[in-house]
Amino acid sequence: MIEYLLLAPLLTSILCFFSRTKKQVETISVSGSIITLLLGLTLVVDVYKHEVIVTWQNALFADAFSAYIVLIVSIVGFVASLYSVGYMGHEHKHGIIDDKKLRLYYSLFHIFMFTMLLVGVTNNLGLWIAIEMTTLVSALLMILYSRKSSIEAAWKYMIICTVGITFALFGTILTYFAAVNILGETGDALNWTSLIAVADQFDPTIMKLAFIFILIGYGTKAGLAPMHTWLPDAHSEAPTPVSALLSGVLLNCAMYGIIRFYTIATKSTGEAFTSNLLIIFGLLSLGIAVPFILLQEDYKRLLAYSSVEHMGIIALGIGFGGVFGIFGAILHMFNHAMTKSLMFFGAGNILLKHETKEIFNISGVVKTMPVTGTMFVVGTLAITGSPPFSIFISEFTILAAGFSNGHIGAAVLFLLFIIMIFAGFFNNVSRMVFGNPKPGIEKGDMSRWTLVAMGILMVFIIVLGVYIPTPFYDMIMRVVEIVR
Amino acid sequence: MEEVIFGSNIMQLFIALILVSTFMILGSTRLYSCVRAFGIQSFLLACVATVVGISTGKIDLYIVALLTLIIKAAVIPYIFIYIIREIKVKREIDLYVGISPSLIIGGILVVISYYLIRSISVITELSSFALSASMSLVSIGLFIMISRKKAIMQMLGILIMENGLFLGAISLTNGMPLLVELGIFFDVLIGVLIMGILIFRINKTFETIDTDMLKNLIG
Repeated sequence: MIEYLLLAPLLTSILCFFSRTKKQVETISVSGSIITLLLGLTLVVDVYKHEVIVTWQNALFADAFSAYIVLIVSIVGFVASLYSVGYMGHEHKHGIIDDKKLRLYYSLFHIFMFTMLLVGVTNNLGLWIAIEMTTLVSALLMILYSRKSSIEAAWKYMIICTVGITFALFGTILTYFAAVNILGETGDALNWTSLIAVADQFDPTIMKLAFIFILIGYGTKAGLAPMHTWLPDAHSEAPTPVSALLSGVLLNCAMYGIIRFYTIATKSTGEAFTSNLLIIFGLLSLGIAVPFILLQEDYKRLLAYSSVEHMGIIALGIGFGGVFGIFGAILHMFNHAMTKSLMFFGAGNILLKHETKEIFNISGVVKTMPVTGTMFVVGTLAITGSPPFSIFISEFTILAAGFSNGHIGAAVLFLLFIIMIFAGFFNNVSRMVFGNPKPGIEKGDMSRWTLVAMGILMVFIIVLGVYIPTPFYDMIMRVVEIVR
Repeated sequence: MEEVIFGSNIMQLFIALILVSTFMILGSTRLYSCVRAFGIQSFLLACVATVVGISTGKIDLYIVALLTLIIKAAVIPYIFIYIIREIKVKREIDLYVGISPSLIIGGILVVISYYLIRSISVITELSSFALSASMSLVSIGLFIMISRKKAIMQMLGILIMENGLFLGAISLTNGMPLLVELGIFFDVLIGVLIMGILIFRINKTFETIDTDMLKNLIG
């Protein structure tokens, strides 16, 4: 089962690479991502029935948390592939990219999907390998355009993330060392399934050190401040569908790594140590995002800083702990993935139309592109945490957890920061969407593909804001049980 | 984790030589000598892995040693030399920190690493020697990344850090499980190739590989 899920994007990628025409490559890509999505959903159902699936000599496994990550990856991957048809098609039509690059783009896109799915289903601290692979592939996607700025962004991304990931490897080695002392030198000593069972016997000193290295390492990849510096560059310079994947899914994958280690480390170090570290990094990320969002001039960077903020919120949720805190954080991963992808898609359409990323040079989007504009405004309301949208629910749960678990100071700061971010974000977006259109901008929306992609995400944002379906709720509760 | 391994003179000799090779990179202004020193360092790492393999009798470690020899001591230096030749870069390294201060800082980093590792009491006396060498490699690798201007040297810095961790993994746990080690080798190799592609692109668009030029994206 898991093998097929991994095989699907790989095969799609190979087929994309060897396809001939634009039409062909688009058909292959979309159908490939539909198959990946279906296989992902099947995996979710399977996990729902069997709790834990282990295959391939224990190398691959899936529990509720893996299935949750797979769900996010495959949904966002699916809509991003729909959006790609519209977005890359437009660029292709205007001669920004040629046939060869288009094929390269789609095949890298699906390899990227593969690596992110691999992060979810690796039954091993070798998770590291998969996360490093995501960096490698996405750096290649970033240099699709040979602009100076994208090459600069890709280099910074590559260097900063590789160094970060190297620290995470050290943390992994330390964890393995702690495990070997208990389990002996077997190949199993790195598997989640065997680690969790004995995690409470690990040496606390070593686990503390390991958790710090893991948090710094994967935190770099997850965009937690102050290691977030690569993030705005990378997210603003990548092709828009890829920005959505980077922001919505890749950050979650890195966060997944942190949360897995959090579960193991907490069992030996006690909750206070790990939680406090997560709260500190979470608040720092929120705090650093505030001035950059208030004074931002580039709307793709605006969205990127908002991702830093939301990763901070997830870290805070885990840090606050308890059923509520973790429930909120896990739900927030999903909500943020959907909403941020919608925002990036909207931003991509605006970029195609206006060919500038400067907020000052854009106005009246609602008038020129009614559908995109409206969804962009709704997305803005959702991402800043206004009711009745999905992010409001998860942010509110985390906030409540903060107050009820006695982290009053942190919770108050959290509230303060998100209010400031709301003001800054909304101010910037309203300058773009309202008012009269700039002269020379034709009326009319972008291709239907992009609108369908945005519409699908919209459904998630609105429905999850009103009520959480029971199977989905059960799934999150199972993840909470695994994390705690 | 028999203590005998790390106490044996031959291991200490190899580890000391690894540190020496790191200082060769730190003290050199010529790209070729840096790459050569990195090759030597990787070769010594392969020796360390073999010695540990002999004394523990784990077959895995021979495979790891062989891979280190092939990938890190031969293929990666070759890629470096290919890049240097193809982009016709000036063979001298531009520095932010001069050679003599670099060497002094390197020495200080080694001393700090030794003290830090000594303070962790849970590790056996003899394996802590190797672990402190590995910490030194990681910190010197980081220092090389921030003190050299050429993009190639940043790439080399990352590889030195990675070598340091490899030494750490061997000294702490006699190496990670084979599957993980293989994955790491794969990632390192692909990483070097992709960084190579990026360096070519940087050279093509900016007409230099000095990272001074990469300062446009801020805020």
